[in-house]
Amino acid sequence: MAFVLLAELAFSRPAVAKDDFTLAPYVAAYEPSTVDERGVWMLADEGERQLRDSPLRIRVGGLETYLRNVLCKEVGNDRCAGIRIYAVEVPTFNASMMPNGAMQVHSGLLLRARNEAELAAVLGHEFAHFELRHSLYGFKNRRGATDAMAWLTVLGGISNTPVADTNFSLLGSIYQFNRAQETEADLLGLKYLAQSGYPAQSASEVWQALMAEADASALGRKQKVKAKYSAGFFDTHPASLARAYYLATEAGKLPPGGDARAKEYNDAIAPYISRFLAAQMKLNDFGGSEYILSNIAERSGWTGDLLFARGELYRARANPRDLQQASEFYRQAKLAGYAAPELDRNLGLSLLRNGQSDEARIALSAYLAARPDASDAKAITALLAN
Amino acid sequence: MRINNFARACLLALACCMSATVIGQEKTGNKEGFALKPGTVKIILMRPVIGVGEQSTGGLYEPNADWTTQARGHLGTALSEAQTQLGNQVMPYEESAGAEGPLVTQYSQLFNAVADSVIEYQFFPGNRLPTKKRDKGFEWAVGPGIAELKSLEGADYALFISTHDEYGSTGRKMLQIVGMLGGIGVTSGVHQGYAGLVDLKTGELVWLNADRQMGGDVRTPEGAQKRVRQLLEGFPGKPVALTTAQP
Repeated sequence: MAFVLLAELAFSRPAVAKDDFTLAPYVAAYEPSTVDERGVWMLADEGERQLRDSPLRIRVGGLETYLRNVLCKEVGNDRCAGIRIYAVEVPTFNASMMPNGAMQVHSGLLLRARNEAELAAVLGHEFAHFELRHSLYGFKNRRGATDAMAWLTVLGGISNTPVADTNFSLLGSIYQFNRAQETEADLLGLKYLAQSGYPAQSASEVWQALMAEADASALGRKQKVKAKYSAGFFDTHPASLARAYYLATEAGKLPPGGDARAKEYNDAIAPYISRFLAAQMKLNDFGGSEYILSNIAERSGWTGDLLFARGELYRARANPRDLQQASEFYRQAKLAGYAAPELDRNLGLSLLRNGQSDEARIALSAYLAARPDASDAKAITALLAN
Repeated sequence: MRINNFARACLLALACCMSATVIGQEKTGNKEGFALKPGTVKIILMRPVIGVGEQSTGGLYEPNADWTTQARGHLGTALSEAQTQLGNQVMPYEESAGAEGPLVTQYSQLFNAVADSVIEYQFFPGNRLPTKKRDKGFEWAVGPGIAELKSLEGADYALFISTHDEYGSTGRKMLQIVGMLGGIGVTSGVHQGYAGLVDLKTGELVWLNADRQMGGDVRTPEGAQKRVRQLLEGFPGKPVALTTAQP
């Protein structure tokens, strides 16, 4: 009996009000007050120190300022006053929010977003986590569920009662709670997006594009393309398909919005594209990377940066046909204006591996001439000598 | 993404719930032949990593901002007292000193990684790497690049301190008592800490002291003094009044 009560107690905690868009009035320079909230903020403050000083952070140029301007435009200057945004070079599609108002944006997200509205959709979602204090409630939920699990384990052990199933359900309830928070943040973020004049459908389009990329990625790895219609037991987020669907439905009820600001977005990201691409090409995800490249090329045409990255992608897979393709992409990149001498080195290496030594020598020599002090100059010289 | 590894952590917490074995561990490592002459050196105290909170019934860490602030103050006072007794000059690292913040943070992280490796691969007999056996001495470093940091100029050594305390919550203690009645071992409370000294000219780790079961309530001035005595056990610049300090 006691077990049932305990279990119900834990299950009843993750009660989240859905479809409730009324926000608490904005408090400038909010300070956490309860012991729990001050605790999670303290942990976040320590985490943010690390993030601020992280070598992954993209400090050059005004990238972080641009990201923050987009957020401010979306949620309003008063709300965004409590937010710091850190852009980090991590080639995955993600962004995250700390309870104290520090937001982390991965370069993988910036590489994939096709316009400012798609970026704003994700930033708005993360901001909603902050506004709704999801870190705090998530912590409380985990604590409640694990407390119940600990009691069940001990009492079950003493009374020789099997409790594994109940514990498993409790564990599942933690993930379920997290998914509910994600949906809640999706819906509030969508409201911000629509209010600020960006096209409301952009939020759904983010997930549609991500699903298409996942398919391309699976094909590239010779895996079965799996469409997940609903979230699994241990999933922290709802299935992409479900998100795309409910975001599209909800967007239909909101003002459609206007300009997605694709040009402004591309101009802001352009200085970083080759850096973001280099990180993506190292992921050993041929299908996914090809998908991203051809998507960008559809909008901007095949630029030198894109062609060079494509050459890198093919050279890394390194079948004879890939090396042939890679050499071709490098040549095209050069014609399109890609000027870094590393292109000559990589072209030379691709050619050499496929036995086209004469042309390879020319390219490698050009690299050595341009970068006599490169860290791999000795290795390249040795290759040339053979 | 926030709770991706959560299932694993849960299982681990439950497993820890059931194990009460304490594994024998060496606590101190000294670079061979190294001695610090008392009263001769300037030591810079890097920003200590301090976390104080409760342990929930289920074993989660519940951070407590007030306790952590108290501990930060008390530990700082106790540390400078202990070093003054040695005649050493201890200065806290000035965060605002120049634009080297990111680099200094990276060195602090590097120190943590090195210290973890020492604890993992040298302090536990049976788990020692072949190059880190007892007769191979104590050879660890963060690299000579640390000598070039402008904000550490003028100091001879950098002292790194890290403590983590989780006091058993009422619920955890209840669970422990009930478990005890039924013959199930439940641990309550986590008190770990380590301290290390890095030579700022060579980057060598000259001394490390680590303890996974520390005493002293860091939320009080007296407890913090006891904790500092334990943290500085084996400090090359002896003698702290260690004989009076029984945990």
